[in-house]
Amino acid sequence: MRYQVRHTTTYTYDADVSDSYGVAHVTPRELPWQHVGRHEVTVDPGATDQWAATDHYGNTRTYFQVDEPHQVLRVEAFSEVEVLTEVRDDEADAQPWETCRPAGRREVVDAWSATELVLRSDLVPHAALARDYGADSLTPGRPLVEAAMDLMHRIHADFTYEQGASTVTSTIDDLFEAQAGVCQDFAHLTLACLRSHGLAARYVSGYLATDPPPGKERIVGADASHAWVALWVPGGTWLALDPTNDQLAGERYVTTAWGRDYADVPPVKGVIYSEAKTSLLDVEVDVAPV
Amino acid sequence: MLHDYSAAVAQPTLNAEPARYDEVVAPDGSLRPAWKALAGAAIGLDREELQRISADVVRFLSDDGVRYSRPGESPSWWRLDPVPIVVSAEEWAPLEVGLAQRAELLNAILVDLYGPQTLLATGVLPPELVFGHGGFLRELRGGPGEQHPLLISASDVTRTASGDWQVLADRTGAPSGIGYAMENRRVISRVVPELYRDAGLHRVAPFFQAVRAAMIDAAPGEASDPRVVLLSPGPQSETAYDQAFVASSLGFPLVQGSDLVVRDGIVWMRVFGRLERVDVIVRRVDSAYTDPLELRGDSHLGVTGLVEAVRRGTVRVVNGLGSGVVENLGLAPFLARACEVLLDEPLRLPSIRSYWLGDPDELEQVRPRLEELTIRTIDRTDPTGPLTGDDLLERIEAEPYRFVAQERPHHSQAPALGPFGVQPEPVVIRTFTVRHGSAYRTLLGGLGSIMETGRVPRSKDVWVLKSRPDEPDQRLVEVLPMTNVRAPAAMVPRVLEDMFWFGRYAERAEDTLRLVIAAHGLAQDFRSRPWSAGGQNLRVVSRKLRDLSPSPFEEDEFDEELRSLLLDPFRPGSVAQSVASLRDAAQAVRDQLSPDVWRVFGAIDRAASTLAESALSHEVTNSAGRMLTAISALHGVIDSMMRDDGWRMIMVGRAIERCQQVVRLLDGTVTERRGIDVDRDVLSTVLMIAESAVTHRRRYRGYVRPAGVVELLMFDPDNPRSVAFNLARASEVLRALPASTGSTRPERLLADLQGELENLELASLVVIEGERRPHLQQAVTTVRGLLSRFADAVVEVHLVSAPTPRSFDLPRPVREVAP
Repeated sequence: MRYQVRHTTTYTYDADVSDSYGVAHVTPRELPWQHVGRHEVTVDPGATDQWAATDHYGNTRTYFQVDEPHQVLRVEAFSEVEVLTEVRDDEADAQPWETCRPAGRREVVDAWSATELVLRSDLVPHAALARDYGADSLTPGRPLVEAAMDLMHRIHADFTYEQGASTVTSTIDDLFEAQAGVCQDFAHLTLACLRSHGLAARYVSGYLATDPPPGKERIVGADASHAWVALWVPGGTWLALDPTNDQLAGERYVTTAWGRDYADVPPVKGVIYSEAKTSLLDVEVDVAPV
Repeated sequence: MLHDYSAAVAQPTLNAEPARYDEVVAPDGSLRPAWKALAGAAIGLDREELQRISADVVRFLSDDGVRYSRPGESPSWWRLDPVPIVVSAEEWAPLEVGLAQRAELLNAILVDLYGPQTLLATGVLPPELVFGHGGFLRELRGGPGEQHPLLISASDVTRTASGDWQVLADRTGAPSGIGYAMENRRVISRVVPELYRDAGLHRVAPFFQAVRAAMIDAAPGEASDPRVVLLSPGPQSETAYDQAFVASSLGFPLVQGSDLVVRDGIVWMRVFGRLERVDVIVRRVDSAYTDPLELRGDSHLGVTGLVEAVRRGTVRVVNGLGSGVVENLGLAPFLARACEVLLDEPLRLPSIRSYWLGDPDELEQVRPRLEELTIRTIDRTDPTGPLTGDDLLERIEAEPYRFVAQERPHHSQAPALGPFGVQPEPVVIRTFTVRHGSAYRTLLGGLGSIMETGRVPRSKDVWVLKSRPDEPDQRLVEVLPMTNVRAPAAMVPRVLEDMFWFGRYAERAEDTLRLVIAAHGLAQDFRSRPWSAGGQNLRVVSRKLRDLSPSPFEEDEFDEELRSLLLDPFRPGSVAQSVASLRDAAQAVRDQLSPDVWRVFGAIDRAASTLAESALSHEVTNSAGRMLTAISALHGVIDSMMRDDGWRMIMVGRAIERCQQVVRLLDGTVTERRGIDVDRDVLSTVLMIAESAVTHRRRYRGYVRPAGVVELLMFDPDNPRSVAFNLARASEVLRALPASTGSTRPERLLADLQGELENLELASLVVIEGERRPHLQQAVTTVRGLLSRFADAVVEVHLVSAPTPRSFDLPRPVREVAP
C-alpha cells in the first residue's frame, strides 16, 4: 500500500513565545517492508535552524529552533510511504517462547542489542502485576507468536480504549487499576508483560490508515498518530502487534520511530521561553491511500 | 611526631582485622624511605606545635572561604589535617603508570560505547551493564565521534596490606576535587614551611597549567583564541568552592546554564546585549542536567539545545556528555579483558575485587557473603551509599544486572592529628589524570581523605617526592607558566545581578551593625534609667531596630534582641542574614572577586562565634565592632577592583542601599519631636549611626539641630553618606553601563529622584506641627518609594537573566478505531 501522510502538530499559546526549541520524530523509517519517497518537515514560523540526524535507535530526529516571537507554532510533516506485507518465517515464530530471551540466545547476531529492550525503562517498569498478567499467556513451552497473540487478545478484551482514562504520568499499576487507557498505554502495558518475562520488545510510534465508516467519505485530518509494539523473534525479525486494535501491524501501519517507550520517541517535544500561562495542542493526522 | 606515631602504630590492636599498610612506618618499626628523608624537619613537630599548626590551618581555610557541603546539607568549613600523606617517587611510579593506562582504557571504552559498540557485540562487556546504567545517554550516540571524550579523570585509590595500589572508584563525568587539592597544598605549604621546603616534592602548579592547555586545545575547529567557560550548577552546589577555584586559577569564566544560549547550533554566552561564541565548556553539571530539551526536562541548570550543538561538533564539552557511563562500578570485573582487546596490553592497576551480579555464577558466589561485602547499584543511584536490609537479596534477584558486590577495601593508614596527638587513620587518595598533548598525565599529588563517617571528612595533602632534586615539577618541562590568566570578566546578566546584591547586602550589613552598636551603647548606659533623656533615646533606637526587623523579644530584653540581630540567620533583616546573602552573592561570582573577600567572611565568622560562646554583655559591642571592621574592609577590596561593569553594579547597589538606609533612619527619629534634651540625644545617635558625627561636629561646631542633620544626611553633596551624594554617584556609574542610553527607565527615575530632592526646602522640612515634622515625613516617604522603583528598574533593565525553560505541552499519540 502507498500513502501520503500529513501530520500537523500545532501549539497555541496565550502569550508570545520568544524562543522555541523542538525535537520531532515524524519521519517514517526506511525498512525492508517500508519505503519512504518524498519527505518534508516544515516549521511555521520558519525555523532559523533545522537539522535532521539519526538517533541511537536509527530513527530520524529533527531538531529545530524558532527565535522570532510567536503565539502559534506549527510542525508539519509530509511523507510519501509505501508499506509492503512482511513475509514471516513460521518456523522462527513457533519457537518456544522461553528460548526467545536475548539473555539465553547470545549466539544470535542481534541478541546483544535486543537486550536493551528487555530492561525496564522509566515508563515501562517490570511491574509485578504485568508479570503475573503476562504469565497466563506465556505458558510453558508455548510457541512464541501464539503466546504473544494470546496476550494481545486478552489485553484488548480486558482493557477499554478510553481517552482521558490516563495521563502522561500514569504508571503500569494505574492502568491495571483503571483497566482503560489510550494506545500508548496499551503499548506500554504489553511491553511490561513481555519484558518482565525476559523477552525483548520495542515501543513503535507511527500511523494507522483507517477506512471511513461504510457509506461515508474519508474525512481528511481525522486520523491520529498511533503506537504499538514489536516483539523480538530470534532469527532476524520483529513481530509487530497492535494491542489497541487486536491485530498484527501489517501494511496499514506506517512506522516512524521506535525506542524503549514513548519518552524515547514522542512525535514532537520541546522547550519554550515564554510567560504564557496556557498552551493548546492540536494534532491532525491524515493518512491518505494513493 | 614521628616518634609518637611509631609508638601509636606499634600498639597492638584488639580487633581481628589484618594489619593495614602504614604509609610511614614499615612492619619492622623503621621509617619508610619517604619519611626517613623528612625525619629531620619533622622533629620539631611535637603535639603542641601540631595543635598550633592545626589552628592556623583552620584560620587559613576560613580566610580563603573554603567550604564544602555534603549532599542535602548546608555548607560547612572544609577540613584539612595538617600532616600530609608522603609518597616516594618509587612507590608512586606504578600508580602513575597504571592511572595513565586506565584513563586511556576508559576513554577507549567511551569511544566504543557511543560509537560502534563492538565491545557489546563481541561480548567483552555485557549489554545489560551498559544499557542498564543511568549514565549511558542514548541521546549522545551518533555524534561526531570525539576521539578523546575523557579529558580529565579522577580515581580514588588506596593500598592493600602489602602496599599494592588499587582503585576503589573512578570519576569520569565531572570529576571534582582538584581545586580542593590545590587549596590544601597552598595551606599546608604555609603552615609547615620547613617540612615543605626540605621534602623535595613535586609542586602542583605546573599540572594546573597542563589542565588549562588541555582545555584550550580541546576547542573544535580552527578557533584562534578559543573561549573556554566552566559551567557550574551555581553557588549552592556541594563543590562550589572547588568550581570557583578551578575557574579562577585556570582563568576561565564561571558560568551557569542561563548565561549560555544556543543559536544556529552554536553555543553563545550572553555578554551584555551581545553574544560571544563559546568553544569549550568545562562542565561541573551532571550530564543528565545539561540540556532540558533532550535530557532531563526538569533541569534548570542546563543549556537548551546543548546536545544538538555537541552533535554538530560546534562546541566541545569536557568531559564529553555521557562520559559518566564508565564510572560504572560493574565494569571492574571486565576491565582486564577490555584492556587486552582495546589496548593490547595487560591491565596494570586493578580495581577492588568486584562481582557483577548480572552474571549468575558471580551471584551464586556472592549470595552467602552478602553481609561481608559492600553492595551497590552499578550507577550508585542509591544516595545513602552501600545497600543493606532484609529485602536486599530480593531486590538483587529482581534485577541482578543493576548490582555489584565489592570486597571491603583494605585502606592504608597514615598519621592524622587527633585530640591525643597523631594517630593512624585509614586514608584514600583521589588522583587526577589529564590528557596533555598526546598522553595522559597523572597529577603527582592528590586529594587525600580520612575515612570517617558522620561529619565532613578531614582531607589531607598528598606529597609525591621527586626521584632526584633536579627533576622538573610534575615532570612537565614543556608547559608555559600561566601569566596573567585572570578570568576575562564574564559580564553576563547573572554575574551583574550578583554584584548588585553584593553591593546592597554589604551596605545593609554595615548599616545594621552601626545601629546595633549604637543601641547597645545606649542600653549599657540607660537601660536602668528609662525616664532619662538617654533612656527615651534608647527607646527610639530600639523601636527603629524593630521597624527594620520584627522582634520576638520583649522591649527590655536588650542583649537577647541585639544578639539575635547579629547572629540569627533566620531573622529577616539580621546581620547574619545579610552576611549569608552577601556570601551567596560573592560565592556566585567568586572568580571575579579578590580572594581578600573571603578573609572578610573569616573575620565575621570568628567574631560571630566569639559572641555565641560568650554570655558577657559587652561582647555584643566588641563582636559587632569586629564585624564592622571586617565589612568596612570590603570597601578597600572593592576599591581595588577593575572599573568594569561588575564594579559599577556593586556601586549602584551600594548607593541605592545607602540612600534607603538613610531615609529609613530619619523616619521615626528626626521626623518626630520630643523634649529638647531627648531630641538632641536622638539626633546625635542618628549622626553616629549614619557615620556623619565627625563631619557634623566640624561643620556645625557640635550644635545639633534638626536642620543641620537633615542637610548633612539628605542634601550635602560632599558627605559620602548623604542621599544627594549617593544619587550623584549612582547616576555617574549608571551612565557608563552599556545598556544605558541617557533615557532608560532607571535613568529617568533617578533624574526624577534628584529633581524631587532639589525641590525640597530645608527650612520647610524641619517645620513642626504638633509632635511631628509632616513635611519631612512626607519627603522621606516619597524618596523611599522612588528609591525602590529605581532599584526595581535597575534590575529590570540591566540584570534580568534568561527566562526559565518550559516544556511544550506534550502531545500523546491517540488513536481511535471503532471497535
